Amino acid sequence: MPNQSGNVYGLTILSPILDDPTIRISHDTALRIYLEKLPRHEDGPFAKVSATHLCRLVVMDDVVFVGAPAKQEHLQSKYLVFTSNFYGDLDAYLADMAAKIPDVVNDIWSHCVGYPGVRDPKAFAAYMKNCQIETTFFFAAVNDKTVEQTLRALQTKVEFAAFVEENQGRPPAELQAAFSTFWHRLEQLPPLRAGARELTRIRVAGVSGNAP
Amino acid sequence: MTNINGKAYAMNAVTPMKPWKTPILKLVFFLLGAIKPLQNKLIDLSFIHFARWVVVKRGQFPRLASSQPPEDLDYDYLLFFSNFNGTWNQYIDAFSDVLAGGLNLIWRWSEKFPGSIPITPFKRYISLVQFDTDYYYDSYPYAAINDVKAAIRVDDAVRLFAEGSEKLTPAQFQQAYLELLVKVQPDLGAIGPAPVGT
Repeated sequence: MPNQSGNVYGLTILSPILDDPTIRISHDTALRIYLEKLPRHEDGPFAKVSATHLCRLVVMDDVVFVGAPAKQEHLQSKYLVFTSNFYGDLDAYLADMAAKIPDVVNDIWSHCVGYPGVRDPKAFAAYMKNCQIETTFFFAAVNDKTVEQTLRALQTKVEFAAFVEENQGRPPAELQAAFSTFWHRLEQLPPLRAGARELTRIRVAGVSGNAP
Repeated sequence: MTNINGKAYAMNAVTPMKPWKTPILKLVFFLLGAIKPLQNKLIDLSFIHFARWVVVKRGQFPRLASSQPPEDLDYDYLLFFSNFNGTWNQYIDAFSDVLAGGLNLIWRWSEKFPGSIPITPFKRYISLVQFDTDYYYDSYPYAAINDVKAAIRVDDAVRLFAEGSEKLTPAQFQQAYLELLVKVQPDLGAIGPAPVGT
């Protein structure tokens, strides 16, 4: 299935943008202004749609004229492009968007033709599927991990590297005890926050220290 | 700059294709998907999180109301969306260097594509057909795809090690721990900052 690679789905949405020459700020401009200010990190909306690995929103003004002898042509509408690379099922993802970030979805897609709102999640999903273009070829370097699994793996890497550094030269029995404490505490840690700007190391307390 | 979030760059490109060429390109993508070894070079480059190619036929642009004017196009369009690490120049240089054949196979059906070698007209063409991202979200912006792959290898290895480690004697533990370190040490390097440049 071209939209999918393993357990990751490559969603491509083209939503025609409203064109109203009577308003002071056109819908495409208003969208650009809104998107410019929308938080992109752990405080951003897509951090709450937890299946989202990476996504983007793009206002596509027109197609490109590549030069003669190609023909110059133009789109009659501008389009909002939404591409998302997420783990799991499309219906579940769209339902999560409607449930977790309804205000942002409304703020964005209210600029688009035929948008029904999110009050009726099924109508919203049907609208998005009407705007969906099948991805012809989708490549995912890692296609079998959820966002949480990926964040946990990043956390393990960083914390274990620190453990190795801080426990060099320990006698075997002490090392074994230290690792056991480290591992149990690491497993209790909450995962890293999705969208965070930096990977903030949480010291797994009580197990780090210089070798005797 | 909204094309960039941490270590990831969101690239978008659109190129026109004569409609009779579209089925050929779709066959190329079908074969690329079906014959996995054809993707090996793309996998080995290892600086792309996700990439997609989307063919939009000239009659396929969504029209959701009668008030929306219908599109009247002669060309089909190939959209390309990539999420890669490194700078734009590094990305295009690497593709031209390593995947010239693959790039040509995909984009030769697009109008005025100059080929991926030599690099100057190729970069000029990509600049022409590229359009900027307005909003880009990355759930782990500090991590390049190599950081993610390394983390998964470390996590898998340490979890497996942890499962059996408590039953070992201290001497056995030390031996197993050293074997673990030898296995994962290439992947324990720090997750450094993103490259600076264009």
